[in-house]
Amino acid sequence: MNYLFDTNSSLPLVLAADGTNAALVSFLIYTAAVFVLAALSNRLLKNKSFLSEYFLGSRGLGVWAFALTFAATSSSGGSFTGFPSKIYTHGWILALWIGSYMVVPICTMGLIGKRLNQVARRSGSITVPDVIRDRFHSPLLGLMAVSLIVFFMSINLVAQFKAGSLILQTLLDGVTVFENTANGLAHAVSGIPYLSSAESPEYLLCLLVFGIAVILYTTYGGFHAVVWTDVMQGIVMVIGVIIMLPLAISQAGGLENTTKLMAKMTPPRFSAEEKGGITLTLNQPRAELLNIDAGTWITDEPIPDSKVPLLFRVTRATEIPAGETTVNEVKVLQLTTLDDIERILGRRESEDFLDGVRVSNIDLEAYAYGEDGNQQGTYLVGPGPSPSSSNGFLPFSLAISFFFMWAISGTGQPANMVRLMAFRDTKTLQRSICTVAIYYTLIYFPLVLIFCCARVLLPGMEGDPDSIMPRMAVLLTDNIQMGWLAGLLVAAPFAAVMSTVDSFLLLISSAWVRDVYQRNLNPEASEKTIKLLSYLVTFVVGTAAMIVAINPPKFLQDIIVYVGSGLAASFLAPIVYGLYWRRVNAAGAMGAMLGGFSVHLAMYVTGYFVNGSFFKPYQLFNFDPIIIGLSVSFLSGFVVTKLTAPPAEELVHKYFYTTKATTKAKS
Amino acid sequence: MSTTPSNDTESMELDPVFLHSKREAWIILGLWVVALLWAVPYCYLNGYQSGLDPEAIETTMGIPSWVFWGIAFPWLVADVFTIWFCLFYMKEDDLGVAHEGEDLAEEIAEMHTTQDEATAGGNES
Repeated sequence: MNYLFDTNSSLPLVLAADGTNAALVSFLIYTAAVFVLAALSNRLLKNKSFLSEYFLGSRGLGVWAFALTFAATSSSGGSFTGFPSKIYTHGWILALWIGSYMVVPICTMGLIGKRLNQVARRSGSITVPDVIRDRFHSPLLGLMAVSLIVFFMSINLVAQFKAGSLILQTLLDGVTVFENTANGLAHAVSGIPYLSSAESPEYLLCLLVFGIAVILYTTYGGFHAVVWTDVMQGIVMVIGVIIMLPLAISQAGGLENTTKLMAKMTPPRFSAEEKGGITLTLNQPRAELLNIDAGTWITDEPIPDSKVPLLFRVTRATEIPAGETTVNEVKVLQLTTLDDIERILGRRESEDFLDGVRVSNIDLEAYAYGEDGNQQGTYLVGPGPSPSSSNGFLPFSLAISFFFMWAISGTGQPANMVRLMAFRDTKTLQRSICTVAIYYTLIYFPLVLIFCCARVLLPGMEGDPDSIMPRMAVLLTDNIQMGWLAGLLVAAPFAAVMSTVDSFLLLISSAWVRDVYQRNLNPEASEKTIKLLSYLVTFVVGTAAMIVAINPPKFLQDIIVYVGSGLAASFLAPIVYGLYWRRVNAAGAMGAMLGGFSVHLAMYVTGYFVNGSFFKPYQLFNFDPIIIGLSVSFLSGFVVTKLTAPPAEELVHKYFYTTKATTKAKS
Repeated sequence: MSTTPSNDTESMELDPVFLHSKREAWIILGLWVVALLWAVPYCYLNGYQSGLDPEAIETTMGIPSWVFWGIAFPWLVADVFTIWFCLFYMKEDDLGVAHEGEDLAEEIAEMHTTQDEATAGGNES
């Protein structure tokens, strides 16, 4: 089944409509299933301790529920959009970038899982700030933890809402019903100031559909709804990858062939944002306006002294008015690998080509790393090609940082910690770690293989790398005449982002209801009030985040990285000390939390002054702020503890000691 | 398992769950260090080359050899270790019953005591 050199093979752009309709259908089925699960979960909320059930599933998660909710929450939308797009853009080096996932399950679940669960049971804690407050018997520390969680997670929630909407938008792009509804919506909201200023009508529609669905099922069903939908989402993700892997390898002509072809690849040239591009001249003026869509191919004779034909792909839509022949500064990328060019030209009939046109004034930029003669084979080796960084994609120090980032910083995520408080017994934990280890092995390494094959199967996607996943899904399934299967495959990305958003939403609302209201404002509130408030706050927090996301912040990926590493820098050390160090006291935990948070923030603020952007943090000793933040957090926690009085003996006894077996037997 | 705080050190011993999880955490941290020391230096020494001859690339099972021996193989080893560690090494411990609402009840009690004391103090003066 080698479709590489088969010039008649069907191609994504031609058949995109089929695949994306499948996406719409699968999205609808999927959403319906999610609501059924939420309704079932809501029934569990009766006759149990409401808060513990609504926010923690009554600490009764079994192996499958626990393992898959953990895995699905950690793999955000990025796993199926950002990660594939990175593999496609930078090549094999992504294997090292993601390499620490070999130990991520055992680290994130095993380092603190058993003990955190025990301590939470012993104190009756339901949330992460709860654990910190109880363990150190310090309301002030609890309040600090709540503030940090609300601060970070609210930013993250908005960012994830945006991510989810963008993914849905990419998937539904080109579906007629969707386009029409979006236009109708644009018309309907045109007079409303805030709504009409949304990025695009398509984005607004996706945000409303995605947001309302997530808010409703999370509010109604609580923790169990989130967990069960996570399980479904987790299964969808792994099945998607398992189906794609053999299809991608066989259609690319085998792994050996893929690697050989990748070794010869050189990065494309591209047009700068502001100026540059190419000039297109039509052989004859046309009677009507000519729309040139993004993704259109343009070819011309080789320039003198070169045998390589010119092949460009439009990256930003443009037009040539009726009666005119020329358009300047068309944004394109130019393929530079002969094999790729010949492959596209070989299947010219089925690709979207603009004919009868000449190219001149080529003003394109080369990658900052990856194009020089001594960087041959750049897609096969480190540090990988990079359009913007002259050090390449993954220099050595960054490779180390990512080992910290995934395994250690993952352990410090409150969304993960909450899950560790919810499993039933140690047997469940042990089996779940194994399950997640196998699960990640089946997802992350295969994704590297699949999207290396994508470089061979779909050249020239650098202009729109985020849609490589849906494009591959459509291509692979069409080639085996099973277009409907694409629906299942493209469900994976929105499954991933949904399962992250719902968990974050519940985490924030639990912080408000449990930590702010119940524990600080009104400890004696009735069960009925708490119940009503839980529903209300979850709904309000979700809706607020959705409204902010209508005009979302830019730098989406940067915000997610900042929040993830900031949370780890603030929470990992206090929790680890609290669980494993008898001597630590409230002052020490406070020192660890504030030390980590402020040093991490300082790296970003220094970046603003030194590098000109908040999101280009200062890298002390070439390391990512997460490493500096974590080190300072652990160090300051240690020093402050040593300088202050030991904790009350009673507290140490409560969490570190148990009655002797002999004494128990006697009594 | 009793969890009532007591100052009677004679009748208390260090919680085995604490001891077991601490030991397990150290081993897991060790595994992370081993994974880091295997993957990153191996990939750096074998996978960061310039001027690669496209015809002379080394592959193992179709993937570049540095990826196979630097990532794929240790990944499998880590999986085997994880499974062994979790199923055969980690101690099966009793995590105790959940004291739902106990923290809150304790604080409410403390709050009332403080209030009572304040009232009592007020009466005295």
